[in-house]
Amino acid sequence: MRKTDRYRYVLILVGLVVLHFTVRERLGGDRIAPDFLLLALLIYTVRAQPGRSAAAGFVVGLLRDALTPASFGAGALAHTLVGYLSSWAKAVFFAENVFVNGCLFFAGTWLRNLVVLLASGRLGGAQLGWELLVWSPLQSLTTAAVGIVVLWLFGRWLAIRLGDA
Amino acid sequence: MALGADRYASRADTLLFLGCVGLSVAAMSLPDNWRDPIAQGLRQTVLAPFLALQQQTELLSAARAHYDAVVAQRDSAVLAATFLPELRSENGRLRSLLGLGVRLAWGYVPAEVLHQPEPTNPLTFVVSAGRRNGVHPLSPVVSPEGLVGVVATVDAKTSVVLTWANPEFRASAIAADGSVSGIVAPHGAAGPEVWLLELQGVPYRQQVPEGTVILTSGLGGVFPRGIPIGTVVGLAGEAKGWERTYLIRPAIHPAALSHVMILTAVRGPGSDLRGAFQADSVHP
Repeated sequence: MRKTDRYRYVLILVGLVVLHFTVRERLGGDRIAPDFLLLALLIYTVRAQPGRSAAAGFVVGLLRDALTPASFGAGALAHTLVGYLSSWAKAVFFAENVFVNGCLFFAGTWLRNLVVLLASGRLGGAQLGWELLVWSPLQSLTTAAVGIVVLWLFGRWLAIRLGDA
Repeated sequence: MALGADRYASRADTLLFLGCVGLSVAAMSLPDNWRDPIAQGLRQTVLAPFLALQQQTELLSAARAHYDAVVAQRDSAVLAATFLPELRSENGRLRSLLGLGVRLAWGYVPAEVLHQPEPTNPLTFVVSAGRRNGVHPLSPVVSPEGLVGVVATVDAKTSVVLTWANPEFRASAIAADGSVSGIVAPHGAAGPEVWLLELQGVPYRQQVPEGTVILTSGLGGVFPRGIPIGTVVGLAGEAKGWERTYLIRPAIHPAALSHVMILTAVRGPGSDLRGAFQADSVHP
């Protein structure tokens, strides 16, 4: 990877963070709009070591917990797990194509929501079912779609090779 | 950079992961009086520029919508001005459409809701007004439709609102005709009646008809009297023949909000805000 690619890589991650706080609310309801912050974390985990990914997930989760104190700590736990598992899974599966990356983004988002809901213990019954089976898959789908577009546009900058699906 | 199978987790990775999990569990176990200052510190430092960015985006969006409305109003005004006799009646109609802010008249701060994507966002959310705007803990939060919640913690420029959907939310309530009083609380998270409230502690002998509008009673010193909470939609249950609990359809769902008003001024014990909400609030 060239030195300039490293700056571009950081630029893309920062861009996703900025998108999260600016355009996300205009892309549908809270529960279905793509989660750019989580996407930035997942893209980071594709290249980083599992330990660093877990640490990055913890930091991102803790910051998000500060914005939703109803589930303080649950976000940190969820993002830690997602960061670690994502990085580990990428290493194990070794596949770098659009479908696998899309699945990674989808599963990461859904798993994050699952852990937040279970760890916070705030929702249960039918409400939990709706969140996990309807809203979370929709949000995961939009996040995965945006992730694929980002990889398709900036895959070379991110030093991720996309093969055939 | 190709990712290879040699990038499995090392011992250091596993230790770091377990450390982060441990810290997360510790964060979940923190009591409120430890947790709130940490969250507050993060919002006022690391997250402050991002929240400011989100607030500016909200303002920009609102400004665009406002611009369209202003242009539409200007066009209407030009059209109305060509028919001078109709201007007075038009003026009267516009007066009747004046919003909640005018009817409240004083002691409130408007704020944008800074929504987050977490599923628990409807339980607590951050708004773009804080201590500098005169917001203080336990300030009531309302929308033109009715009660939204109460301010839980206050930062310099933002505040955290605990909505009526939060399991910890309680409000003293009264029927619009004053016939029944009780405590309003979230109905719970299970079953088909999710996102409903319930009116608890109604004496068994008192029946509350469906469609009755429930307002805040003003007791307890947190919420002023007369803020619409919702309408009764049915009986939720009876407790051993001495009290009834009724289901209430809330006036507004927290996820549907983009802007709220925070009542910053302490109103007198005799004050009644019923008139401020009459035009916009729930109807039986």
